[in-house]
Amino acid sequence: MIRYWYRVYRANLRVAWALMLQYRFSTLIWALWGFVGPLISLAVWSAATRSRGSDVVRGSQVYSAGDFAAYFLVYMIFSHFTMSWDAFEFAYRVRTGSLSPQLLRPMHPIHADASFNIGFKVLTTLVLLPAWILLFVLLHPQLPSTALDILIAVPTLLLAGLVRYIWQYTLAAVAFWTVRVDAINQFYYVLDAFLAGRIAPIALMPVWIGAISRFTPFYGMGAFPVEVALGRVAGSDLLSGIAAQIVWLGVGIVVFRFVWNAGVRQYSAVGA
Amino acid sequence: MPIETIQRTVRRYGAILYVYYRTSLQTEMEYRADFFGRLLASFLDLLTTIGALAITFSYTDTLQGWSFSQAMVLLAVYYLMDGLIEVFIGQNMRQIAAQVRDGTFDFVLMKPANSQFTASLRMLNISRAARIIVGIGLTVHTVFSLSVEIGPVTAVRFAVALAAGMSIVYSIWLFLVTLTFWFVRVDNIEQIVWQAFEAGRYPVEIFPRHLRGFLTYVIPIAFIITVPAQALVGRLGPGSVLTAVMIGSALFALASAFWRVGIRNYTGASA
Repeated sequence: MIRYWYRVYRANLRVAWALMLQYRFSTLIWALWGFVGPLISLAVWSAATRSRGSDVVRGSQVYSAGDFAAYFLVYMIFSHFTMSWDAFEFAYRVRTGSLSPQLLRPMHPIHADASFNIGFKVLTTLVLLPAWILLFVLLHPQLPSTALDILIAVPTLLLAGLVRYIWQYTLAAVAFWTVRVDAINQFYYVLDAFLAGRIAPIALMPVWIGAISRFTPFYGMGAFPVEVALGRVAGSDLLSGIAAQIVWLGVGIVVFRFVWNAGVRQYSAVGA
Repeated sequence: MPIETIQRTVRRYGAILYVYYRTSLQTEMEYRADFFGRLLASFLDLLTTIGALAITFSYTDTLQGWSFSQAMVLLAVYYLMDGLIEVFIGQNMRQIAAQVRDGTFDFVLMKPANSQFTASLRMLNISRAARIIVGIGLTVHTVFSLSVEIGPVTAVRFAVALAAGMSIVYSIWLFLVTLTFWFVRVDNIEQIVWQAFEAGRYPVEIFPRHLRGFLTYVIPIAFIITVPAQALVGRLGPGSVLTAVMIGSALFALASAFWRVGIRNYTGASA
């Protein structure tokens, strides 16, 4: 069983790598897109600390300019590992009917897409690594975390990637009902910006946003692993955070299966 | 050039533009639902930026000297500019590279009109007007919340500054697209310009020094967005608008000259 899936993913990875090397410059540009958002947020918050003339404080949470640099740099790297663009791809495939041959294959299309994503990440990480190191040198982030924090962050990052992937794919499957998913994707993007802590650390947002964040999958797929890596999550919160990630992963799989099965029945294969 | 000739040229190109726009509108009317989807998407995008700024401003009164309302003016101009560019030239500029690659650029050159005119303005992408609507709404809102008085002088100055900014964006884009005649695949360079443009919705002063230099001299965001914004709130003498107009005209002349060199280099794919 394991060997079967290993071979499936290895074959798909080879295809993905061949494609990406063919279009290496576009692949690189796509990867660099991930830099823009976090660096702009960092610029905004650094300017805020400079204009205040002091660190940003909210309750027990203190963010200095160096803390912001650390937060957004780690966020940038982590979201490189967890992000995917399947929702955008998927609507296109439904619209053009190019999904049809994929449905005929003896396995779920999500596996081909997932291995493509993994391939993209491995390949681009090699290229981006020097850029990340350079940014760490240039921006002087204050890293309060110990090696242990970073070690604990690895499984939470992995879970975050899985949770994000399954929920994004569920959202992508909405394309079975409407091929105009622009507005839906944008709505997801808004939620992600606030609830996953992309534009600011959750601790600095209004209390009600933080509360909603913790009761939705967004916290687990965005800010949580970053806060763990920076040593900002206490022991008991760590366990409940991981538990929430696992719960959202389980719920995600169930919801995804339901939406997908209903959607495939709805799909009328354009061009068939 | 005698006045009569100029009049005739303007009338002729006006008539051509009318035909181009009429056919574009007819095509776009088939995709009406797209427009409302995009309008909603633009609103949500705006919501994110405003929300993010509001959270930041809850911890500080100013951002490097900019108040919240002043930052909103920048945002309004950013949306206006983005919408105007997308409606009038965006789709055209993206097509030029593809046309040169597959040889259909022949048809542009064969038309009995200026090739730069045809290539840049043939299609009107009205579905992108959503951003203009959001931009106008935000402009009106900020003008009221800052209670600046908009006299005819301010209005004219704002319009001129906007036009100059558009000319700068267009010229940079045309310059990049013209490179297609030599390198065939340059559509990715365009992405880099857009990433820089994305930064234009915030005051340039918040960025580190090197980046600020890039955003001032290489992609002059200051003249594309900041100057029109300042013209709107009346914080600006006529000098800066004049500078913007001069830069806009100079870049336009340069890019057009480069275009003429470029098309001489075009060999066609089918010929």
